[in-house]
Amino acid sequence: MELLPFFEWAETSFLGYIGKTYGGVYATFGQSVHLMALAVLGGSVLIADLRLLNVILKDVPSEIVADQAHKWFKVALAVILSSGVFMAAAVAQRMYYNDFFWAKMSALLVGIIFVFAVKRPLLNGTHADIHPMVIRLVAIASILIWFSVAATGRWIGFSG
Amino acid sequence: MINEILVQFAEWLYATGGSRAIEESFYLYNWIETTHVLTIMLCLGMLAFIDLRMLGYAMPDVSASTIADRLNIPMMIGFSIMFITGLLLFYAKPTYTNQSIWFRIKMVLLVVAFFNAIRFHRHMKASESTWSNEPRAPLNLRVSAALSLGLWAGVVTTGRLIAYDWYHCYRDLPGWLSAAAGCVAE
Repeated sequence: MELLPFFEWAETSFLGYIGKTYGGVYATFGQSVHLMALAVLGGSVLIADLRLLNVILKDVPSEIVADQAHKWFKVALAVILSSGVFMAAAVAQRMYYNDFFWAKMSALLVGIIFVFAVKRPLLNGTHADIHPMVIRLVAIASILIWFSVAATGRWIGFSG
Repeated sequence: MINEILVQFAEWLYATGGSRAIEESFYLYNWIETTHVLTIMLCLGMLAFIDLRMLGYAMPDVSASTIADRLNIPMMIGFSIMFITGLLLFYAKPTYTNQSIWFRIKMVLLVVAFFNAIRFHRHMKASESTWSNEPRAPLNLRVSAALSLGLWAGVVTTGRLIAYDWYHCYRDLPGWLSAAAGCVAE
């Protein structure tokens, strides 16, 4: 499927027009909000995963930590996706030809599938019933995936 | 006077070999900046959860002092990395950064956030035994927590805006803004 026409349309859309025309709006409502949401998303991932790895909050049940962190993960993810769409629309054609943009989108897709299809279903029950090695592997994979999403996102700006 | 001294200092830094080496290395500079940004997840992520706990929006079933104590260490590790990489980023582009109004506002916000954090910890340690298991902290701590979130949002925003030169010294700026940005007559 040819995606270029969609990216060309996105740049001429209302969101694309706003982001392209008003640099201040793009930088604050796009980039800064994206970064703040990244902080909350990263915090929720690290708190849950470092607890699963027995690094922090060892005296708090991991079920409580994982559940509470997941609530804020969902909020942060929604803000990241909204601000990300706004930012990408303003420079859509440049994004289409940017390898790091596609790397980030791939990592993001893997991250979302991993959280909602693997991590959450697995951690919904009592954690003591799950093999400790499985919990550790899930936590390490989660940290690696979300750091990859963030790092590839930053490198979009350095390339193209 | 202070702006002249800062400009001289920035020009001296700019002329050093280390500064040139970092700025001219595509991978070194960009990886330092990437590390600076990624550490937001560790430092501000932990800070956000501590503040949200005080406000009653995160982990209300867990003791507030437990959250603050346990998340403080990873937060400080993240802050240390952010601080070191921030120094290196300034070192790589001292003349540009010194005359960025956004950088200057960011530094002011960081100082205010620092004093707010001291106040927050002092009040928390003095009274935690009475409210730590409550879903929300007392009003003065909630104010500090909300202020902390606002100040760090400002730090992130102004930090991001450093990349934009809308109000740099080579632009036509009003006198007060020129002085605030540290512009000096050539």
